[in-house]
Amino acid sequence: MFVVTKFYLAPMITGIFNFLNQHTTVTEAEFQFLMTKTAIHNFNKKDKITEIAEVENRIFYIGKGLVRKFFYRDDEEVITQFVKEGSLISSTASFFSRKPSQYIIEAIEPTTAFSINYDELESIYALGNKWEKIGRIITTHFLLQQEILLMDNIRLTVKERFKKFMNENPDLVQRVPQKQLASYLNIKQETFSRMKHLMYDKSLKTA
Amino acid sequence: MSIDLNNISDSSLQYISSYLQRFMPFTIEDVKGLIQYCEIRKFDKRIEIVKEGEIDNYLNMVLKGLVRKFVKVKGKETILQLATEGHVIHSEISYLTRTPSQVILETLEPTTMVSINHKKMEEALASFPKGERLGRLIMSGMFVKKDERRYWLLSKSTRQRFIDYLDRNPHMLQRVPQKYLASYLNITSETFSRFKHLIRETTSNEIVNFPDK
Repeated sequence: MFVVTKFYLAPMITGIFNFLNQHTTVTEAEFQFLMTKTAIHNFNKKDKITEIAEVENRIFYIGKGLVRKFFYRDDEEVITQFVKEGSLISSTASFFSRKPSQYIIEAIEPTTAFSINYDELESIYALGNKWEKIGRIITTHFLLQQEILLMDNIRLTVKERFKKFMNENPDLVQRVPQKQLASYLNIKQETFSRMKHLMYDKSLKTA
Repeated sequence: MSIDLNNISDSSLQYISSYLQRFMPFTIEDVKGLIQYCEIRKFDKRIEIVKEGEIDNYLNMVLKGLVRKFVKVKGKETILQLATEGHVIHSEISYLTRTPSQVILETLEPTTMVSINHKKMEEALASFPKGERLGRLIMSGMFVKKDERRYWLLSKSTRQRFIDYLDRNPHMLQRVPQKYLASYLNITSETFSRFKHLIRETTSNEIVNFPDK
């Protein structure tokens, strides 16, 4: 039985339950069982959660904090994802394929995360179709997330992508260094500041 | 309508079987059982099998022919996939979320596909032995392929992308207009033409067999 010994973890655990039930159906009992298979981690700012060239063995749920996923193009960091509390993060392709990760996952803020490892997950899938179905739906969620991002990158202008990102993640402007936000949006830092000012001026006028 | 197994060629069965074997062991009887959920669809060339704004109801595997997947933004086309024999293609977001497709699927050659309708897929997931497991593994396999392509597009130079792709797919130069290949590789048509000497050097023997080149 999974026993919560640290009081501050309770809302995060409720968060996992809600996350799963947003996408699929998990009963209280199934959830309790699932939680006995997870581990809890506390990462400091700048801790590497997954290193490049290592095979990703875990999928994380971020209970509190913020992480980023990136790779190196020559010496330049290319940021592909920010994940904050309430979402999953993994070097997913490596996790699924069992090939070395091309990405690095790093904490931007002190972060509390719950993880499940590959072998545990396989042993849960082996318990039957019900678990396989939950797995399929979460996997589909990863695929859709990836596909929607790809479509946005093609269909939207830089300005539109900037707007969409800011609307969906207004808090990240304060939480993520501007250089990193610019890298994620694939724009120069100067362009980023200019757009930020334009947007805030506009919202002030319309307010 | 289900498929008459007598009408499915050995090579088609082979494509389907080797695709499925990537995920888990399949006997030929398993494959035939799964095919019962599918249908065979045939299209002429230059047919839009999924139009923009339409809900995509099919997950397809190309058995013969060629299909391109692209998105049109302000009149400009961006090619996302060129699917040939043995490749799986569909409008992912539309099929999975039952929303209007942002992408267009169009045949470039007369094409035969084995397709599973969204409803039949639900049935297969629930009643085919290990259906859920297969579904999960197909999804994660797709994720990995897409991630590899994204990483490749973002991390490799235009020159390297050109060489990588045409090394692995030399036959595509004959099958697909150059501007489509250029778009798929995210390089301009001009750059594509400029790089063509790279392929002539390495495959000059084959080029001789195509006098029109």
